Amino acid sequence: MTLSLGDFQLTVEKRQETSRLVRMAAPTFSVAFGLVIGALILWASGQDPILAYTEMVRKGFLGRLALTGTLIIATPLILTGLAAVVSFRMKIWNIGAEGQLIVGAVAASGLGLWLGDRITGPVGIVLMLVAGAVAGALWAGLAAVPRAYLRTDEVISTLMLNFVALSIMNYLIFSSFSYWRDPGRATFPVGRFINDGLFLPRFVGRLHIGLLLALATAVLLWWALKSTKWGFELHVTGDSPRAASYSGIRVDRQVVSVLMVSGSLAGLGGAIEVGGVLHNLDPRALSLGVGFAGIVVAALARLSPLGVIPVAIFVAGFTNAGPGLQVLGIPSEIVILLEGILFLCIVGGEWFLRNAVRVRRGYRSARMSAL
Amino acid sequence: MNDDALPATSTEDPEHGVVSGRKPGEAARLQAITKSFYGIPANDRVDFELGWGEIHALLGENGAGKSTLCSVLAGLYQPDSGEIHVDGTKVDLSSPHQALEHGVGMVYQHFRLVDRFTVAENLALGHPETGFITSPRSLERQVAELGRRYGLEVSPKASVWQLSVGEQQRVEILKLLYRGVRILILDEPTAVLTPQESRRLFATMRAMAADGRAIIFVTHKLDEVMEVSDRVIVLRDGERVGSMETADADPATLARMMVGRELPASGRSRATPGEPVLAVRGLTAEGDRGIEAMRDVDIEVRASQIVGIAGVAGNGQRELAEVITGLRKSKRGQILLGGVDITRASTLERIKHGLGFVPEDRMRTGMAGGLPLSTNLALKAYREPPLSRGPLLSRRAVDERARRLEKQFDIRGVRGALPTSLLSGGNIQRTILARELSARPRVLVAAAPTRGLDVAAIEAIRRILLDERDAGTAILMISEDLEEILDLSDVILVLYEGRIVGNLSPDGATPEVLGMLMAGHTAARA
Repeated sequence: MTLSLGDFQLTVEKRQETSRLVRMAAPTFSVAFGLVIGALILWASGQDPILAYTEMVRKGFLGRLALTGTLIIATPLILTGLAAVVSFRMKIWNIGAEGQLIVGAVAASGLGLWLGDRITGPVGIVLMLVAGAVAGALWAGLAAVPRAYLRTDEVISTLMLNFVALSIMNYLIFSSFSYWRDPGRATFPVGRFINDGLFLPRFVGRLHIGLLLALATAVLLWWALKSTKWGFELHVTGDSPRAASYSGIRVDRQVVSVLMVSGSLAGLGGAIEVGGVLHNLDPRALSLGVGFAGIVVAALARLSPLGVIPVAIFVAGFTNAGPGLQVLGIPSEIVILLEGILFLCIVGGEWFLRNAVRVRRGYRSARMSAL
Repeated sequence: MNDDALPATSTEDPEHGVVSGRKPGEAARLQAITKSFYGIPANDRVDFELGWGEIHALLGENGAGKSTLCSVLAGLYQPDSGEIHVDGTKVDLSSPHQALEHGVGMVYQHFRLVDRFTVAENLALGHPETGFITSPRSLERQVAELGRRYGLEVSPKASVWQLSVGEQQRVEILKLLYRGVRILILDEPTAVLTPQESRRLFATMRAMAADGRAIIFVTHKLDEVMEVSDRVIVLRDGERVGSMETADADPATLARMMVGRELPASGRSRATPGEPVLAVRGLTAEGDRGIEAMRDVDIEVRASQIVGIAGVAGNGQRELAEVITGLRKSKRGQILLGGVDITRASTLERIKHGLGFVPEDRMRTGMAGGLPLSTNLALKAYREPPLSRGPLLSRRAVDERARRLEKQFDIRGVRGALPTSLLSGGNIQRTILARELSARPRVLVAAAPTRGLDVAAIEAIRRILLDERDAGTAILMISEDLEEILDLSDVILVLYEGRIVGNLSPDGATPEVLGMLMAGHTAARA
C-alpha cells in the first residue's frame, strides 16, 4: 500500500519477521506514548498530569494497603483474562465471560448457602469453587453446542447470554424472595451471607488465597497449551479448522471443550469473588464489567496465559487508584479514559510490529535531483 | 464443446487497421533491475527487453524472481536500482495506476475481481472514464467486441462468482484491454487452467500479439514456452541466466538453464501390483451445492500400483478425494480399505486404518499455515508415542521428529517458529508428503500433487510417489496434468461429470484420447 502526501511517499509493507528487541520495545513505547497522550488530556482539562500519575502509582501500587487492594481486584481479572485467552487462541470469540462469572457466583453462593454449617473448611470451599466452575462451563456450553453443531455465531450468543445471566442474578436478589435473598433485610434487598467457615482464607490483610488459585490456574493453562495434546489440537483448530478435521481432530468437540473450559475459568472467578470478597450474591459488585475487562487484559497480554498476570495487576492498579484520585479533584473516570487510550496505543503498536512503514521523498524530487 | 472453438490467430480486420506480427521498436526495457527483500536480492541486475507484437516467456523455478520482476514493471514494487523504459522513454512507475497510464498491466495469479459485480461492472470499476453515471450499453458492446476479437467471450451481464476460473481470467484480461493496456503481463496464467482452457488462452495471446501488443508470459512449464512464445528469458536465483529465440531453444537446454543442472529423464518403471487395498464401489456423493457431484464410481487400487484419475477440474475429483478420506459424507456406495468397510468411519479411524491424504488445497486443508513446520509435520503423529504419552505432548519429540523429516525429505527454508506458509510451494508439498508417508500408509490419496510447483520440485515429488509405490503403497492420484497422469499411472481412469468414463492402460493412452474423454467425447473409448 502506498500513500502519497505531497512530495513524500509512505509505503506500508508487511514485515516477514520482527526482531526480539523490537517485540520487547514496542509495548513499552506504546505505553509511554499512551501516557503522554493521557497527560495532554489531563493537562487540557486543567489537571496536573504529573500529580495524577504519581497519585495513580501511589494509590494503585505503593504500600501494603494499595497493593493488596489491587491484587484483590486483579484476581477475578486474571481468570476472565485467561477465559478470553483460551478461547481467542482458537479464534473462538467468547465475549460472555461476564455472564459466566455471574453464573459461577450464583452457583457458588447457592451451594454455599445450602452447605450452611454442615460442610465447612477446605472441603466446602473446594465444592463451592467447583460448583462455580461447572456452572460457568455449562453456561458457556449453551453457546458452545449450537456453535459447534449449527454454526451459530458465538459472538452474538455469548454476548446475549451475559444479559440473561445478569437478569437472573438481579431477579434472584431484587425481584423475588429467592433462596439467595436475605429475608431479614426489608429496606434494601441483599443476598444472604454464607457461613464464615466457607470464606476463602486470607493471608495478607484482606488478600485471600483466590489470588494464588488464579496464579496457579494461569501456570496450568500455560502448561496445558504448550504440553498437552489438547493444546496442540486447539492451536491447529484455531489456525485452520479444515486442516484440523483433515488430520482427524473432531472440530465440533474441540469447540465445545474450549468454550466450556473458557466458561469454567470465568465461573471460577465468580466463585472466588463470592468466597473471598463478597460472601454473598451481590449483584452490584458482580456487574462491574470484569468479564469484559478480561478481554482487554487478554489482548494486551497477546493471548499469553502468563502475560495475563502482570497485565491484570496493572489494569487492577488503575481501577484501585480511581476513587483515590477523586479526593484530589481528578474525576475517577479519567482512569477508564486512560485505560482506553493505553489499549488503543498498544493495539496500534501491534500494527507497527506487523507492518513496516517506509517514508521516502517522492519521485518528483528524485527526478529533480537526478537532473 | 465451446472450448474447442478457437479464435483465429491472425486478425485482419480492416476496420481496426491491425498490423499483424512483430513490429520494430521496443515495448519495454528493464535495465539492471535490482530489488531486495530484507537484504536478500529477488532480482539482481536483471536486463529484459520486450518487443511489440511478441510473446516473451519468462521462465524460472519458484522463487527465481519472476514475479518480482513483473511486479516492478507493473508498478507494484519500486526497484532498488535500475531503469525502466516503456515505448522508448524512461519512466517512473511508482504505482500500478501509473503503470496502467503507461499502458502496462498485469493479470495476477490471484484474481482481483469483485465477486458480486457483473463482468461489465468489474470492467467499469476503477476505469478512469467511469463517472458517477455509467452507460452499461456501450460498455457491454465494447466488451463483446473485444471478446470476439481475442477469443475472450464472456457474458458481460454475468456475475463474477458464477464464472469458472478460466472465464474469470478472461475478465481480468478484458479489464486490461478495456483500459487500453498494450503491454500485458500474465503471471503464471496456466497454473489455474485446464489443458483445454490453456490452449484457448494461448490462442488469445497469439491474437493479442498479432495485434501488435506485447505479452510477458510467466511460467515454469517448458512445453508452454515452446508452444506459445517467440522469445524466452530464463531467471535463476534472481539473475538472468539466458535469453534466446524460442525457435533456437529446446526443452532440455531450457530445463538445464532453469535448474542449473541436468534433470533426470523420467524413465517409467513398472511395479508388479499386489493385492487390492482400496476398493470403492458405487460411490455417490453430493457437491457443495447439494447436486450429485459424483455418481456410481467404482475404483480399485492395488498395492504397489498408482491409479491415476484424469479429468478437467470440477468433474467430481474434489468430492471423490474428500469422500474417500472422510471429509465429506457419501450418499450411496461403499469404501473398503484392506477389506474393512470404512464408508461410515471418521477421518481419524481412516487415518488409523492406514489412509494417507495429500489434499489439493495444501495451504488450508493440508496444513495449518500459521503454525510452525514442526507442528505441521506432527499433525497426525502427535497422537502416538513418542510424541505423546496419554494426554501429554512432548515438544522435544515433536521438534526432533521435525528435524529428522526435514533432512530426510529435504525441506528447506524454515526457521524455528516462523509460520509454515512462508515456505515455497515445493517445500510445502514435501512437508505434507513427509508427514503422510512417515505414517506408513497403506493407501495414499494424492490430489494435484505437483500443481503449481517448479520443475525440480515436480521431479522430486514424482520420484517420492514412485518410490512409495515401489515400497508397496497403493496410490490413488488425482491430477489434471495429463503428462503426469501418463508418466506415473499404472492404470488411468477418466472422470467426467462425476462418472468414470474411461479405463485405460498408460501404454495405450495418448494425450489426445485422454483429452477427448475428459471433454466428454465418449466415442473415443472405442
